[in-house]
Amino acid sequence: MLLRGRRLYTCYGRLLTLNLVLEILGDLLGLIFALFCLGMMIIFLASGRKRPIQSIREIPAFNRFRHEVGLAVESGKRLHISLGRGRLDDQPGGAALAGITMMERCARAASISDRPPVVSSGDGVVSILSQDTLRATYHNIGADRRYDPTSGRLAGATPLSYTAGAMSIIHDEAVSTNVMAGHFGGEVGLLTEAGDRSGSLTVAGSDSLPAQAVLYAGTEEPLIGEELYAGGAYLGAGPLHFASLRMQDVLRWLLAAVIVGGALLRLLGVLPK
Amino acid sequence: MKTILSAANAVIAIASGLLVLLGYFLPNIFGGLRDQMLLWAIFLAAFALLVGVLNLAGTHLKKVTTRQRGAGYSIVLLISMLLTLALVGIDLAGGENGPAGFWSLWLFKNIQMPIEISLIAVLAIVLVIMAARLLGRRPNTFSIIFLLTVVIVLLGSVPLYHFGSSAPLTTLRGLAVNLLAVGGMRGLLLGVALGTIATGLRVLMGADRPYGG
Repeated sequence: MLLRGRRLYTCYGRLLTLNLVLEILGDLLGLIFALFCLGMMIIFLASGRKRPIQSIREIPAFNRFRHEVGLAVESGKRLHISLGRGRLDDQPGGAALAGITMMERCARAASISDRPPVVSSGDGVVSILSQDTLRATYHNIGADRRYDPTSGRLAGATPLSYTAGAMSIIHDEAVSTNVMAGHFGGEVGLLTEAGDRSGSLTVAGSDSLPAQAVLYAGTEEPLIGEELYAGGAYLGAGPLHFASLRMQDVLRWLLAAVIVGGALLRLLGVLPK
Repeated sequence: MKTILSAANAVIAIASGLLVLLGYFLPNIFGGLRDQMLLWAIFLAAFALLVGVLNLAGTHLKKVTTRQRGAGYSIVLLISMLLTLALVGIDLAGGENGPAGFWSLWLFKNIQMPIEISLIAVLAIVLVIMAARLLGRRPNTFSIIFLLTVVIVLLGSVPLYHFGSSAPLTTLRGLAVNLLAVGGMRGLLLGVALGTIATGLRVLMGADRPYGG
């Protein structure tokens, strides 16, 4: 076995060396990557403090969203924020957390409106977090009285019951703008259709690819790919959001370079097929 | 007092998050603690679902008592909720496992499943209408590419008088599904993964506090 291993090592020296390093690092590789990301965020945060005015590429959905929030406040209509049906203890939890950040900014912006935003979710934990975030937001801006526990709701516990529950909010509660930020499946099409029928604008993003395809076709302002996670930076949630956005941009280019470089090396025969 | 509580919330949340994260990377050291904390989280999530259902009932009760728009549907929801609880209660009283009991399964098979299947059927129609509206909504090159791809993949997938198995269509479908779509999907998933990491790190750094801190 050892001799066989040795022979393999000689044939594909480079590949096995890399594999050996990966094997030694094992589970630690993920931790190293997370620490690398953390380091980059801290560096970008420090450099951002020296240069407070930072330019980021324009995402039309966020410009439109800010405009519509203003209009909703003026016209006495309501914002509906849909946090999807992702569970917090699973991979879609990231999208729900990004949605909660956007929700917090919405609640702040619409705090002077006669009708406070209504938030729907399809998971008990996310629903409690949305209520807690709304309560904390109103408390921080000195508007505790505006907090209504029924404005953060569990609309349904299964994907389609959640969709049915959220559709009734869109239809019945004088909603002018829908913000959908979280984990959805293809059934999000029913929500965007409900938005269209009630004449409200829909700004939507999801971590799921089928939902992104539906949102691209069904909404005026879709958030594609990582744009959902950039909401905090575009809605002024703080300097760390800018730092994390820059970290994402740099790493995306780095990963793209690694993928293209790997493909080229394989094409040239340096890496075995 | 409020500040102290909010700081304590943040400390507990960040410490729990870090311990669970370390449990994944260093399972020999933190694995046991991670499993224990995840078990607690499962119990809390079940309780949160119950709180959520009570909150939903409260919302609809308020709609009925204040005679808001759609109050009729709220009455239907409240009656259905009570009936479901009663039927599952009968199962439990009869010594059966609640969700797997006779009446629970009867409700699932005869009410929930047909309604959900009807919604899926409506969804299919909605998606077709949506695709047809796309060019009116966003008339640009990407919309045309999107629609052309949808048409090619659909025609290449359906057994329509052997139309879907004709050579040019299967080649085009294969190119779209196996090459172009896979490349695009990987790009999007990389972005989503990086976004998820960034969101998680912000929570661990205490910058995002979805727990009202």
